[in-house]
Amino acid sequence: MRRRTGTDGSLLASLPWTLAALAFSVLPHIQFLPFWVTAIFLSCSGWRWMVERKRWRLPPAWFRIVLAMVCFIGVLVSYESVSGVGPGSALLAVMAALKLLETRQRRDQFVLLFISIFLIMASLLREQFLWSLPYLIAGVLFTMTAWLRMSDARKVPIGISVRTGARLVMYAAPLMIAMWIFFPRIATPFWAVPIDSSASSGLSDRMSPGDISSLSQSNAVAFRVKFRDTMPPPHKRYWRGLVLNRFNGRTWTGSEPTFSRDRRKDIEFEGDPVDYQVTLEPTRQQWIFALDIPYDADLDRTFMDSGHQLARMQPVDQRIVYNATSYPDFRMSNNLNEFWRNRFTDLPADTNQRTTRLAREMRDEAGSNETFINNVLRMFNREEFYYTLEPPLLGGNPVDEFLFNTRRGFCEHFASSFAVMMRAAGIPSRIVLGYQGGEVNPMGEYLTVRQADAHAWTEVWLRGRGWYRVDPTAAVAPERIEMGRYGAMLDGIGESWGLTAPSQWAYQVEMAWDAMNAKWNEWILAYGPENQHRFMRWLGMDEPDWRQMMLTLIAISVALITNVSLHLKLRYRPPRKDEAARLYRKFISASGVELHEGESPLAYSSRLGVEKADISVAATNITCLYLDARYGPPDPAGIPELRIAVSGFPGGR
Amino acid sequence: MSSATWQFPEGLRFSSFRHWARARILRWARKRQGRDSRITRLVSRRIYILPTAVGLVFVLMTFTMLLGSMNYNNNLSFVLTFLLVSLGFVSMHQCQRNLVGLEVAFAGVEPVFAGQSAEFRIAITNHSKTRRPHLQLYVEGTKSRIDDLEPGESRVLHLEIATSRRGILSLPRFGIRTLFPFELFRAWAWLHMDLDALVYPKPADDVSEPPPTQSAHGHRQHDARGEEDFAGLRRYHAGDSPRHVAWKAFARSGDLLSKQFSGADTSSQWFDFDQVTGPDVERRLSVLARWIVDADRTQQDYDLRMPGQEFKPAHGERHRHRCLEALATFRMDKPTQSGATT
Repeated sequence: MRRRTGTDGSLLASLPWTLAALAFSVLPHIQFLPFWVTAIFLSCSGWRWMVERKRWRLPPAWFRIVLAMVCFIGVLVSYESVSGVGPGSALLAVMAALKLLETRQRRDQFVLLFISIFLIMASLLREQFLWSLPYLIAGVLFTMTAWLRMSDARKVPIGISVRTGARLVMYAAPLMIAMWIFFPRIATPFWAVPIDSSASSGLSDRMSPGDISSLSQSNAVAFRVKFRDTMPPPHKRYWRGLVLNRFNGRTWTGSEPTFSRDRRKDIEFEGDPVDYQVTLEPTRQQWIFALDIPYDADLDRTFMDSGHQLARMQPVDQRIVYNATSYPDFRMSNNLNEFWRNRFTDLPADTNQRTTRLAREMRDEAGSNETFINNVLRMFNREEFYYTLEPPLLGGNPVDEFLFNTRRGFCEHFASSFAVMMRAAGIPSRIVLGYQGGEVNPMGEYLTVRQADAHAWTEVWLRGRGWYRVDPTAAVAPERIEMGRYGAMLDGIGESWGLTAPSQWAYQVEMAWDAMNAKWNEWILAYGPENQHRFMRWLGMDEPDWRQMMLTLIAISVALITNVSLHLKLRYRPPRKDEAARLYRKFISASGVELHEGESPLAYSSRLGVEKADISVAATNITCLYLDARYGPPDPAGIPELRIAVSGFPGGR
Repeated sequence: MSSATWQFPEGLRFSSFRHWARARILRWARKRQGRDSRITRLVSRRIYILPTAVGLVFVLMTFTMLLGSMNYNNNLSFVLTFLLVSLGFVSMHQCQRNLVGLEVAFAGVEPVFAGQSAEFRIAITNHSKTRRPHLQLYVEGTKSRIDDLEPGESRVLHLEIATSRRGILSLPRFGIRTLFPFELFRAWAWLHMDLDALVYPKPADDVSEPPPTQSAHGHRQHDARGEEDFAGLRRYHAGDSPRHVAWKAFARSGDLLSKQFSGADTSSQWFDFDQVTGPDVERRLSVLARWIVDADRTQQDYDLRMPGQEFKPAHGERHRHRCLEALATFRMDKPTQSGATT
């Protein structure tokens, strides 16, 4: 029979810290991990700890193999893939749990600490907030302290480990900052694995009024804008996103962004341009938001699609910063040929019949397209239509139901039914998705546009006038457009829409927090190739390229490492030679009585007592301290006490 | 790194090339550093440093993380990656500094019998104001325990080296190394103090015949463990066995006294190399060693005659050592004490 023995308890000093470091790294993943992964991780950690404390046996190999296979299949089933941050972090957590069950020796914990670092990395790839930086530094400190404890031969007080870890991180910090600033950033990714395809945020590329829409409730930031000169008034803050031109009776859809020749030729720009800088949160989509209508954006591999929307070759996976120029006043005078006119008036024949009939009647009554458009808007304004963010759900003919029954809805409902009526009357129309408004942050003089500011409006095409914007929501709830969602909320008007105003205190805190986030995003998180070039030019590099940056980085690194080396050298220098003798000599010269050749300290002290009675007490004291410090048993307080006594010595007269 | 040299990584152990390279490097280091005094302060130019296996994994990990950060242009994971890279650089310097300024001193080695381990005692002293953790002495095949040194502290570490033959065990070189702080790097220094340990012949276990006695009296009345007849105390002389020191009396009065046993000096044994029969020299030395050890245990006087060398009858630690030393360093052709047989 095979003899099985329990653990020897040799990991008792290091294991708790390894477990704590692991748990700290898993913490930000917990809300994303399937429940069972967290459960397995926690129970294995607890189990392993009990094994060490109670000297139990570790589970047998077959058990670990079965558990490993079950967990791997579990991850595959939960995520249907093994790439990306989600399944990656789940696999790391499971690996840590399994490795714990076979951690026998001190050195096995290396693997656990490597996993811990990868888990921190994974959490950063998933999301980056203001607290992510302190979190990652704390995580590194935690891991490195655990690392130190693991490699300690003797049981060392935890204070020493923490201090050593913190000291080394402090030494490393300046070098890290230099590397971070000067390491050349590249624009092209090596591979295009989406970080987390499920976590797409922001506008979706389709619109189904009547279905549940959670976007309007999300307070998450979509992007922030800093204007160079003046901010356009709220009713001109239409942030153009993507264009939807197909309707199947229920859902509006757009098309994939396609590169086409310079679409700017179609637009007549009027009035003064507006220059601004946008910090866009990652959308994992290709659309780039700009003030209607964009003229230019200094972002690489970005183009204007046929719907005059800005799009990028690859999804926006990280925060990006770009400067853009727009003309709030414009005319799009492109000629729409027969084919496109048909596309933009296309409606499914068998749905929303009542709406179609109503639109045709109204068009016949109106006589002209312009009058018809105004009549429809007046209908929205005069009749019993309500703007609300909590509309009832709609059934099979959503436009009919909305126009004739429920009459409650928000921008999507109004834009959709308006566009359907236009199409029914033969006027080319399309839906534009984007954002409208945004709140001005008084602390940073910038505009924050949130997901809740998402908006849908309509563009119609009239001969001789081209495409132009008609926002039916403005006819129903002009405050939404004039004051913006946030303004209406603060004002109290928003209460009828389902928005409650925050308290003044909460408002202040929110604004301050948002301002900090804005700076953080702009300076730290969005530091990509564009920002790096800007910063390098500001530093004085004429044509910054990666060679120059690398050379600068190497030079700075060498200087910083030398500095660390000197610091360490000072730390390890021996204490000053015979400090006690030096202090004693100082005492003799201060007393003003010469020391005879071969005279012992005690003899000198008693002679001093005779010659200078006034200082005899202090002199005896100093002599005793000196003898203790120099010849007595080692005492760390000896020298400092002597130093204090000598510096307080009155001196002879 | 300026003082670092390229050493064939220790993990690869599959070819004689490694041995060859190692021998060359060791020769080179010896030539470069010269002979060390018995008290040596380590200076930075003699400290070597290389990454460990864990260090190489660490490099691989940070490289992977760098690729990931670059791919996603994720600035916080750049922070994490660069923090770890910087920690790697810092730990390299920290590792080397953990040895610089350390004082290494030879603190003696006791003679042992062949087959026992010789314990070289090496004192390491931390003269600096900073703690020096994770220090270890090593030679090929053995290493001491790992120890930490507080500021100003001095500790003795033991290098136990197995012996198999009598003679002089020389320790031309030993190393001191550290893995502090993260075991990413190993810094070490070689010390060439040319230490020697004396290895007595292993006392023969199977000596059935009693040692020949040349004394007329005393042998019979005293059996092998005849220490029962306590005769009194006298002042301790150097060479008295510590087992005979009256420790209780020492604790009371502070004077070192030795217990005297009756009959211990009444008989004397004569051990003569030429009289011992045996298949070879080593066997005969081994038998002599057994007799000396046994005689010493009974506090009997004994003498030893070796070719060209003679020790007058006496007893005690000092006498025992001189006799055993003569056995350890004995050479058939050249009957003097010089020359190592190992």
